[in-house]
Amino acid sequence: MSRKFLVQFMTILLLSVMLLSACGPGAAPTSATQPPANNATVAPVTQPPAASISGKVTVWCWSASWTNSIVKSGALDAFLAEYPNVQVDYVETAPQDVYQKLPIAISAGTGAPDWACVESSHLAQLVALGGLTDLTAQVTPYIDKMNAYKWPDAMLDGKYYAMPWDSGPVVMYYRRDVFKAAGLASDPDSVSAIVATWDDYLNVCKTILEKTGDQCFASNKANNDARLYEIMLWQQGLGYTNAEGQVTVDSPENVATLEELKKFWDAGLLSDQSAWTDGWYAEFSAGGTAPVATVGPGTPEPAAVKPVATLVEAAWMGVFLKSFVAPGTEGLWGVAQMPAMKAGQPRSSNDGGSNVVIPEQSQNKAAAWALAEWLFGRVDSQVAIFKANDIFPSLEAAYADPVFTEPDPYFDNQNVRSAYVDAVKIIPTGYVYGPNYALMNRYVQTAIAKVATGAASVQAALTEAADAIRNDTGLP
Amino acid sequence: MLAVPRSEKRIAKKLSAKPSRGLWARIVKARWPYLFIAPFYISFLVFGLYSTLFSFYLSFVEWKGLGPMKFVGLKNFAMLFKDKVFIQSMENGFLLFFMYVPLMTFLALVLAVILNSKRVRGFKLFRTIIFMPYIMNIAAAGFSFRLLLDQKYGPVNVFLGNFFHISPIPWLEDIWWARVSLCLLIIWVWLGYNMVIMLAGLQTIPGELTEAAMIDGANPAQSFFYVTIPLMRPVILFSVVLSLMGSFALFNEVFILTVPAGGPMNATITPFVDIFNQAFGNNRFGYASAMAYAYFVILFVLTLIQVRYFGQRVD
Amino acid sequence: MFYYRVSRWAGNALIYALLIAICIFMLFPFLWMIITSLKYADEIFHIPMILIPAHPDLHAYTYIIKQYHIFNITWNTFMIAIIGTGLSLFFCSLGGYAFAKFKFPGQGPLFSFLLGTMVIPAAVTLVPVFLIMRDLKWIDTILPLVIPGAANAFGIFFMRQYISTISDDIMDAARMDGAGEFTIYWRIIVPIIAPGLTSLGLIFFMGGWNAILGPLIYLKTQSHFTLPLIIRSMTSTVGRSMFDNQMAASVISIIPLLIIFLIFQRRLMEGIAAGAVKG
Repeated sequence: MSRKFLVQFMTILLLSVMLLSACGPGAAPTSATQPPANNATVAPVTQPPAASISGKVTVWCWSASWTNSIVKSGALDAFLAEYPNVQVDYVETAPQDVYQKLPIAISAGTGAPDWACVESSHLAQLVALGGLTDLTAQVTPYIDKMNAYKWPDAMLDGKYYAMPWDSGPVVMYYRRDVFKAAGLASDPDSVSAIVATWDDYLNVCKTILEKTGDQCFASNKANNDARLYEIMLWQQGLGYTNAEGQVTVDSPENVATLEELKKFWDAGLLSDQSAWTDGWYAEFSAGGTAPVATVGPGTPEPAAVKPVATLVEAAWMGVFLKSFVAPGTEGLWGVAQMPAMKAGQPRSSNDGGSNVVIPEQSQNKAAAWALAEWLFGRVDSQVAIFKANDIFPSLEAAYADPVFTEPDPYFDNQNVRSAYVDAVKIIPTGYVYGPNYALMNRYVQTAIAKVATGAASVQAALTEAADAIRNDTGLP
Repeated sequence: MLAVPRSEKRIAKKLSAKPSRGLWARIVKARWPYLFIAPFYISFLVFGLYSTLFSFYLSFVEWKGLGPMKFVGLKNFAMLFKDKVFIQSMENGFLLFFMYVPLMTFLALVLAVILNSKRVRGFKLFRTIIFMPYIMNIAAAGFSFRLLLDQKYGPVNVFLGNFFHISPIPWLEDIWWARVSLCLLIIWVWLGYNMVIMLAGLQTIPGELTEAAMIDGANPAQSFFYVTIPLMRPVILFSVVLSLMGSFALFNEVFILTVPAGGPMNATITPFVDIFNQAFGNNRFGYASAMAYAYFVILFVLTLIQVRYFGQRVD
Repeated sequence: MFYYRVSRWAGNALIYALLIAICIFMLFPFLWMIITSLKYADEIFHIPMILIPAHPDLHAYTYIIKQYHIFNITWNTFMIAIIGTGLSLFFCSLGGYAFAKFKFPGQGPLFSFLLGTMVIPAAVTLVPVFLIMRDLKWIDTILPLVIPGAANAFGIFFMRQYISTISDDIMDAARMDGAGEFTIYWRIIVPIIAPGLTSLGLIFFMGGWNAILGPLIYLKTQSHFTLPLIIRSMTSTVGRSMFDNQMAASVISIIPLLIIFLIFQRRLMEGIAAGAVKG
């Protein structure tokens, strides 16, 4: 072969091959990519002086939690003042994006943040996946200081992989004006008394519908997110599995719970709005004043939307109600205890709550832990964050702060905070969250949708979901 | 003896060389074309062959993408048989195919015939407008459709309610209406594309044939059905086969339009979406690979059947 | 005769009605997109429906320029599309040229094999390719989006059909003049096939610009996103929905392609037709 050809050939071949195998050694994917060593500790247990901790902490969190809570509370600034050599780089990441991107970044070996907010619903799955730093040594002093029910999701094989932040004790938000218009008592204690059980709640809502035409709450039929159902399960100490790890999605108790919810649909009490959509917000805002920023000058008045009377949700909902869901309805709301399934059972549940994890990839673990501990392990930070945005601390010592006895004008000067504290103290152990929560939730969502739209009976729908879950997870 | 210069020796050698009949000699002579086509085969080796084989291997393991792989034999495939969502996705592939392909193909053909017939003015304008949706990215198109089809606030329901007094249709919240909505989106995107293909096919039909039919007394509709369609069979077949494979592989439209992706109660989920969810949502790489292979086999068989069946009728 | 005229007139009217109805169907979503992008958030989900906003303005556009750095995102999208197109055109035309204008052992089977590879659905290679990219540490770069598709079967097939229509004389003449094979390709063939390259290039460019699956899997940081991805990301934030911003981003994502399309539509449609009819 001619020299010229050889040279050109090699060049082009080299170019082609280079394109396909740039820089990295070992282009073949290894099947046994070792998960990061799970016993690498972050920092010695004795705290090093603040000035010696340095580094840039990349944070993945979402604006409601970070910008509007942590930053707004001033806790972040206090941290940065105390740790002058640490920088914090915030990357706005919606919860769903965290749960999609973090596993990919972990398995890709690059791109994970140093610090990530993780809701309790998805924590166990991330912990089970691997790739998170073992924080046992760091969180040990806090184990008995946080709500006890928060820890199981953070644990694997006896080790701890997350620091709890906030909890979601469930209460019933209700519209005082709607209750009044229906001729019912509208102060919190009376309302708590008349919705003592879910059947009582059903009857109260029937009365409201009859007298005012307003609906009880919103729960979309076709795209149900299953959260209310999960709240109802949790308050009974039930869940998608039981303590032995068996799938209980189609157990008699679970079926009975969904039957109870179905009664509300059958009575026409539920509005069909999907959660977190404009129509949903409109129902909460009805009867109030519209926020200025989202309305253009000269916009005609919208036709009257009927308000929805109640909302059974966790304490963090107060934040959202005030900020963007229904900011114009200040003073029209009250907080009562959520109904119990049967008389005598706990009138509280959990929905949500979040934690923070530190991926093993992080090069700034000490700084990341310092940030986590500062924000969530200290009473003053947690109280400040709570004051900023109603994010309910998992740190129990915080409840002693006087802020938990203050009236809240949004709720007609009711002391809602003590209601949250009372609720959090009686949250039973539930089996809703767990390593397979996302998968189970998806199947149950479909089941509830089928029940709500009349496509299947409760037993059939839940059995179908349970079988699919058993098929997918291999659990009994 | 005079010293023969080296170059002359070389030329003489070449001229007197036996014709290179040997295979290796021919290969060496054709090194350039081999070089030119090499990038494709190298790329295929890595991203095609290796990936396909590795995927086959993966379908026999359980693996989260991180940590050890667990060999489980045929367990993934056994689970597939009982996987209601996967079965539903296959059903949906068929359902959707029958829901939008006949209508879209027919419409594309009719529009092509109309525009080709020179009977209307503004051929270029109509062709441009009808083709335009194809160039829009599906994210923009899909979210716009979501707004349009909103049950309570969308213009479509408002229009239907005001002018036809139809109560609000749950476009994206009912099993069958969601499928209809998806088909609407697909037709919206692909009608122009198919029309252009039909137009090109029509150009190959000599105009005399349809004229001859007309002279023989056929009206336009008859000439359409008895002359045009039979002659367009290959093009129609091509379009339909493409659409069949496409309806199982639908991802973009489903992923953007339906919430959660796959439609209310899995009404619109397709095999590709299911595979994507299992792989990147549930991190079940082994199971997703098994699903992909099952889907591959089923699709392959389907295509064979289609080509065999329609291919015979073309002649 | 009168009957014929009336029926022809009626037929014409029907045909025009159909065409116009279809055109409205095609245009309305786009129109609604533009209108929504000029509305304020509360005007979007408003009863009664607001067809024309009271005070349309560009606040959504300024918002996404500032908060989402939409011009950066547009640049990302453009780079991915143009680099992908350039690479693909180069390798596909090279391959197509080889198959069209050369005879070499195994040519037939090799080409049939190439066509055969188009049978493999993307779903099968989805996971392994991702794993390869992960091990190469190419995640969150543009490489996974442009490299695997660089030398693709469809393009080579297209180019082969196209180039086989060129007469061989020019190449023979150039060879006699001693030009190297690559030079022949680069200096002679490429200029001749420019129209075909344009058609194919338009198809590739559009594909790269509008792609969702690839960017969804491989792009992780928001500053690397493409326009479709950023549009989609505007729904996942809990908070006041941002349909006005989302529609503004959608409009921005469409305009460049629209301009290119209006200029080059003939070439684009030729390309699509050629790919199909000769298939």
